[in-house]
Amino acid sequence: MRTKQEYLIRYKDGNLYCELADIWIDPSKPVKKALITHAHFDHFTFGCEEYISTKETAILLKERVGDNIKIKTFEYGEEFKINGINISFHPSGHILGSSQIRFIFAEEKWLISGDFKLQKDETCKQYEIVKTDYLISECTFGLPIFKWDESNKIANDISKWITNSPEKTSLLFCYSLGKAQRLLNEINNTNFKGKIYSHGSIHKMNNSYRELGIDIKDTIKIENKKKIDELKGSLILLPPSLSKGTYLKNFKNIQTAFASGWMSIRALRKRSGYDKGFAISDHADWDGILEVVKKSGAKNVFFHHGDSEAISKYLVEKESINVFFLR
Amino acid sequence: MSLKKFSELFVDLDSSNSTNNKIEVLKNYFFSNDPIDNSWAIYLLTGKSNKRFISGRYLKNLFSQIYEYPVWLIDTCYLKVGDSAEVITLLLKNKSTSRKKELSNISLNELLSKTIPDLSKLNEDEKNLQIKNIWERLPEDYHLIFNKILTGTFRVGVSIGLITKSISKLINIDEEIISHRLMGNFKPSIDSYEFLINKNINLEELNSKPFPFLLANTIEDKIFKNSINDFQFEWKYDGIRLQLIKRSGNISLWTRGQELVNESFPELVEKMSHIKDDFVLDGELLVWNFKEQIAFDFSLLQKRINRKSPTRSIQIKYPIIFIAYDLLEINGRDIREIKLENRRIELEKYFSKWQNKTENNISDIFKICDLIFPNDWPDALTYKEKSRENNTEGLIIKKKTSIYSSGRKKGIWWKYKVDPMQLDAVLIYAKGGSGRRAGLYTDYSFALWKDEELIKFASAYSGLTNIEIKELDKWIRKNTIEKFGPVRSLKPEMVFEISFEKIQISKRHKSGIAVRFPRITKWRKDKKINDADSLENAYELMKKIS
Repeated sequence: MRTKQEYLIRYKDGNLYCELADIWIDPSKPVKKALITHAHFDHFTFGCEEYISTKETAILLKERVGDNIKIKTFEYGEEFKINGINISFHPSGHILGSSQIRFIFAEEKWLISGDFKLQKDETCKQYEIVKTDYLISECTFGLPIFKWDESNKIANDISKWITNSPEKTSLLFCYSLGKAQRLLNEINNTNFKGKIYSHGSIHKMNNSYRELGIDIKDTIKIENKKKIDELKGSLILLPPSLSKGTYLKNFKNIQTAFASGWMSIRALRKRSGYDKGFAISDHADWDGILEVVKKSGAKNVFFHHGDSEAISKYLVEKESINVFFLR
Repeated sequence: MSLKKFSELFVDLDSSNSTNNKIEVLKNYFFSNDPIDNSWAIYLLTGKSNKRFISGRYLKNLFSQIYEYPVWLIDTCYLKVGDSAEVITLLLKNKSTSRKKELSNISLNELLSKTIPDLSKLNEDEKNLQIKNIWERLPEDYHLIFNKILTGTFRVGVSIGLITKSISKLINIDEEIISHRLMGNFKPSIDSYEFLINKNINLEELNSKPFPFLLANTIEDKIFKNSINDFQFEWKYDGIRLQLIKRSGNISLWTRGQELVNESFPELVEKMSHIKDDFVLDGELLVWNFKEQIAFDFSLLQKRINRKSPTRSIQIKYPIIFIAYDLLEINGRDIREIKLENRRIELEKYFSKWQNKTENNISDIFKICDLIFPNDWPDALTYKEKSRENNTEGLIIKKKTSIYSSGRKKGIWWKYKVDPMQLDAVLIYAKGGSGRRAGLYTDYSFALWKDEELIKFASAYSGLTNIEIKELDKWIRKNTIEKFGPVRSLKPEMVFEISFEKIQISKRHKSGIAVRFPRITKWRKDKKINDADSLENAYELMKKIS
């Protein structure tokens, strides 16, 4: 076995790094060259000299942080070369534009999963199975207690939650990019036909999705001075950052909910302070991670982001796969 | 009516933080379900069904065996979830899709009166097979309730008070009446539910109603400007506040929480019923040290509170006393509008009459509170400081000319509590919490200096806000030195102010001292660990008090 230094991709200063190409993946500090898997802020940092991503990710990023960044873009599946290494983006099913990144060097394949999910989501490309020798996978929900329901079931639950309290204004908290659009898309197919409002940050992302050819239901941008009566029985999508503090005082007679994979656990639901939790996630559940590990054909797997110890131990016991976790 | 409805009720109650909402949801449930399921619902919601048919460990092992899951993996999941029944419920998802859900229409009654109790009649293999069968034939949405009842951990954020309120709303009858009907050994049956919702109130029920309690306010400085002679002084006991009612010969013991506790204290009910007069007394219930004529610790009283129908030996081991400090009604005459000083005269008069006339000796279970007569305010302060010696919490000060109104009305009663004892200590260990606090480090151990060493002296769980808990949890994860199972030893860095009620020598502890009711009162971010107190400081504190 090789030492850590000899791996094509390794952890350096808490980030994934390919020394041979002198390129970083989703770095948390400014570097020369950064590959970006998707446009969530925990995968992006200002100040890099050059960014490389899919076209969709680039557009979403610019919409969020301004045009003042230098991004080179590639299509899914399009190979490009840096220092003799073939690199390509592949759909990861997490949000619009999200990708896995494959490296091929000297006939050795490496795959960085990025954030991914296998579940159906009409607002982005379906996860693509990519063959690899080495897999670096996220495992945010790497415990078997995480088992997602079909997203249309969750959407129906949300619809029922709103229509069962016609006197109330229903505030649904969710991430502005990805989750909000997926929810809007799913809720469109339910019995809920009332008004839907969204916060400015979500509204902006809806527009970007539409410009990128994704069919997102039109919502009304929420203004602070809306009349209470007008909001009765309607749904308002808000980013989680607004759930604490004074923002909620703008509304009367509300019920609140949070849409997140963590809401599948009762203790977390209770502690969150929301009235209700809807367990819907843009990350893979336990079975999803295992499926990707198996289908990728990887003989060496590295886990990061999450409860890596349990899933690592499980794979070592059950499959003949070398499993490591990165720190 | 099926388990389905109850399952929906559980979800509704669980996903609401509003009391009014919960009452409404309960009311609607009771309205639309049949009496037998309603009676079971009340039985479950009021926590009367805490019988454990199998342990959480057993459930986890059984699941591991059936579905070939490593036990360590289930245990890892448990750390995140904090409840065995829920872990298994989550793991069961999509495990049993093949079978027809033959139990989808099972009623709450059938599940609780037959299916689950029948498990006890089976041998282990049959029992395991039967549980597997139920899992497979029961729709997934009901697994949590089934597993929770099985492991005796069914709990939802509903108090008996909420049930009382919702029934009261449903049939439009006063809460006190419903509370009275709900007391005692509520057995799930059609009859018991119909009794509960009966619109005809009988005389006995009316007679049991307590008066609203008068509550004391925290001491205000302006009181010291008044003459000491304007006030009545009593010890502040650390017991259970009770109204002891005898009307038409029937005794009712009411707590401040609208709970009827006759069954927990049968000896008091029995003795008091020998008194010829009718009355309403306001006072404190304590476990009493008859030798020294002082109260025992509240912890001993706790051994009595939650125990219905205590055995004779429990009654002897934890002897109770009711100390009356007010008389509110006598032989049907409401005297709450009379001045306190005159009510006191009545109280003393009747007490001595009862002592002399009652055939049974009542003084071994009932007395009236002694008054204290400080000469001036500094003298009152001295009494307050001495209150620990007789196991009281300080003084209650009452205006002599006041009437007995209701609630926490200002300018009538004050509590003058002795200050808690405090030490600044260093956080050295943390352990994961369970239930609502699962996945967070919430059980902490604190240490004091002994020369150059930090010696553990107390553990505390309460006192931090949720935000502080989260912040501290983050810090704990980053500053762990070593893990021993669920416990982490931590870098000594954080200082907390720990308050407690009592400090005494203890040979069982390495520190040589034991404290009572330790709790965190402040996160001393301003202090370095060298500023923390030493064991010597603790010994000094002990000396000062004794």
